Amino acid sequence: MDRQNMDRSYKYGSLPERGALAVAYVPLQNSAVPAYEADEALSQGTLFPGLDLPFMNIVNKQVKHTPLTELMAIDFVIDELELYLDTHRNDREAFSMLQSFMALGKEARERYVRLYGPVQQSDMEEMDSYCWLNDPWPWEYRERED
Amino acid sequence: MFVYEKKLQYPVRIKNPNPALAKFVCSQYGGPNGELGASLRYLSQRYSMPYPELKGLLTDIGTEELGHLEMVGTVVHQLTRTMSPEEIKKSGYDTYFVDHTAGVYPTAASGFPFSAGCMAVEGDPIADLNEDLAAEQKARVTYENILRLCDDPDVTDVIRYLREREIVHYQRFGEAIRRTLEKLNEHNYYAINPAFDKYK
Repeated sequence: MDRQNMDRSYKYGSLPERGALAVAYVPLQNSAVPAYEADEALSQGTLFPGLDLPFMNIVNKQVKHTPLTELMAIDFVIDELELYLDTHRNDREAFSMLQSFMALGKEARERYVRLYGPVQQSDMEEMDSYCWLNDPWPWEYRERED
Repeated sequence: MFVYEKKLQYPVRIKNPNPALAKFVCSQYGGPNGELGASLRYLSQRYSMPYPELKGLLTDIGTEELGHLEMVGTVVHQLTRTMSPEEIKKSGYDTYFVDHTAGVYPTAASGFPFSAGCMAVEGDPIADLNEDLAAEQKARVTYENILRLCDDPDVTDVIRYLREREIVHYQRFGEAIRRTLEKLNEHNYYAINPAFDKYK
């Protein structure tokens, strides 16, 4: 995303015209756009450039692209949009964005499962053996990058 | 009901074991501002929440925090996966090692074991959501303090990712307060506790 040449209004949300006393107000995020691409969202830890506020302005290096990180990135966008929709249930545009990422996620998951095995136990429906137990588990250090 | 996904939310691959870092990173597993407390706080607060937005948000953020617990546990595990007795002594990991070997135990860096005393469930949506705003800020600061002490990019990228999630969650909890206020008496938000009292 070209952050330099964009108007910065996405960094601000809306407050009520008059706020009651003795209660905390956080501005409402007005829209789910602009949004990062999935890879960049995963690397930054947010889909939304307006919420991307790095410590000491140090930014993560881009996560290396593999079938696993591709799936992680799409699933991350889905998680992020679901949290947004929990507080913006009537945002139709965000909801259709969520649905299109769900479709992408389904494909990415099938690709990953074919290469490296089940992500959920239900992925084994058509497999020959109970390969759920195959190493590596997610916490284990792996030389190879899936 | 929960279903396990055999993958992390964000990749963790730490090339060089380093128990000196595990000594303080472990605080975000079981310390006062850690991910175990975060997930338990949100998943416990859900039950008394009166509005669907709040039930959904606490379920979804609480679930994500379980994923973060797994990520922090992964960092501690990978940092301590090979250690010689000399390294254990030199790194200061010996006080942890003597009780837990290379296991992952929920404790603060100071040695205080996980305590539910670090979280609150008040059964009142405005009080609970304010607790959640504070919790996200405290976790942000803890991650920043970890970043100040840590120079391995394999670790700092993961910590920066987790820190950024605290900011996003803060925004959502703030919005959840706004959604709560919309449903209350605008002349007196504190007239009742909507999780317990009914409007007459």
